[in-house]
Amino acid sequence: MVNLDDLKKEALNLLKDEKVKYIIGYTEGSNGTSAAPAFIKNPEDTDKLVWNPGCFHNLTRFLRDEKKRKAREKHPDERPVGIVVKGCDSRAINVLLQEKYIKRDDVFILGVSCESTGVIDEKKVAKKLKGKKAQKIEWDTNRNLVVTTEDGTTKIPADEVLAERCVECPVHSPVVYDIFFGDKIKRTTDAQFKSVEKIENLSQKEKWDFWKKQFDKCIRCYACRSVCPMCYCDECVVDTISFAVTADTTAEEKAQRIKWIEKSPTPSETFIYHIIRAIHLAGRCIDCGECERVCPLDIPIRFLNKKLEKEAKSLFDYEVGFDPDQLSLVSSFKDEDPEDFIR
Amino acid sequence: MAEEFEPKIVAFLCKWCSSAGSDLAGVSRMQYPPNVVPITVMCSGSVSPLYILSAFNKGADGVLVSGCHPGDCHYIKGNYYARRRIALVKELMEYIGLEPDRFQMSWVSAAEGIKYTKIIKDFVNILKPLGPQTNLRRSQ
Ligand code: SF4
Ligand code: SF4
Ligand code: FES
Repeated sequence: MVNLDDLKKEALNLLKDEKVKYIIGYTEGSNGTSAAPAFIKNPEDTDKLVWNPGCFHNLTRFLRDEKKRKAREKHPDERPVGIVVKGCDSRAINVLLQEKYIKRDDVFILGVSCESTGVIDEKKVAKKLKGKKAQKIEWDTNRNLVVTTEDGTTKIPADEVLAERCVECPVHSPVVYDIFFGDKIKRTTDAQFKSVEKIENLSQKEKWDFWKKQFDKCIRCYACRSVCPMCYCDECVVDTISFAVTADTTAEEKAQRIKWIEKSPTPSETFIYHIIRAIHLAGRCIDCGECERVCPLDIPIRFLNKKLEKEAKSLFDYEVGFDPDQLSLVSSFKDEDPEDFIR
Repeated sequence: MAEEFEPKIVAFLCKWCSSAGSDLAGVSRMQYPPNVVPITVMCSGSVSPLYILSAFNKGADGVLVSGCHPGDCHYIKGNYYARRRIALVKELMEYIGLEPDRFQMSWVSAAEGIKYTKIIKDFVNILKPLGPQTNLRRSQ
């Protein structure tokens, strides 16, 4: 079991000894199920840290902000940032290291094992509670979610409330860390790509209809992009205004700029946005599921990334986020890469 | 009688092989369908997936990416990168329910004018029964 007191103690020491700038972790959320990201600077605040089934956020996304903030500072504090990560999140760190977006000593990693469970899907839990408000949630040792509401406690089997990505997760514990909390449990899954297979088995028309229905909902709020730790580019191809306008940029030049994608959420543009988003994350997405979680329209975006994760593995024997020294998926090749589709 | 549908193909041809191959077909006066809009790029490895999607978005019924044969790329490795990247695009397009046949890739060397004409002829024949591509076309 993960001992929260150990986590708090380590965090306290790190801050007391001034080994880290601050710690990004989880604290109690306001609705009983979800935890909330916390940025802890004062040693006495480490007591507010929590570790529970509602810690689904991928905190590595905040390393983007940290990097930007640091770049603006004249005399930046060079100490690392402490960060609490789960298995999936730790793979994001590996990708950021692989892409040289961060350096290993920019972070002090507090790795927490998911052991035999993972984190919950809030929507699944809400359905189970039928309108009742949870006050507290925790895992027991038999893979049950113990939910405390005003009417007492109920037990729900983990498999009914786990986030989809946890069911399909191949690691369950951090692959890179400075301190490890909990037990390293070897847990394998035979269902790593189950959700993808469901769609693959549809006919071409059914596939199109499925995605059309989903993407028609998209309002292009770009929450999926904002939350992703790997969507860190300063300029994104989908933004039509993303070019430097200087004093001598003429109106003509502005008008002539390439507009790859229109901003309006019409079907053609939204499809292209989502295809490009998925392609740009090929070999980089570590399936933290955050993009799908934050989508206000419940679009199953994760299925797109997961498909490419699957193809990367089956076509190119490439797995994401385990080795920070490997070449990235699209900047490497093998002589024997498949080419039966080429004429 | 209704006019037969004539598909519009956008072909991204690398400068050093495929584009030269298409030139050879032209200067040798080989006959092939006039449905192609060729766009010369420096290397098949420089074709971003966004070019392909953008071509569909702006009205292409089919898109071809063509480069030098493996081992012959002017930039040594460009076509190997392209091969990987385009395999992924193809898989994803199919997964989303787009007709995978609308998107092709080929290796055409500077000497393969005949191969180039054959690829275009075949592509046109594949595209005709599929009809116009509307899924990704920007609505006016
Ligand atoms: S998929 Fe969802 S989160 Fe992403 S832009 Fe569309 S509506 Fe927003
Ligand atoms: S694309 Fe989605 S699942 Fe993948 S790393 Fe980004 S936020 Fe996480
Ligand atoms: S130059 Fe022809 S494929 Fe690279």
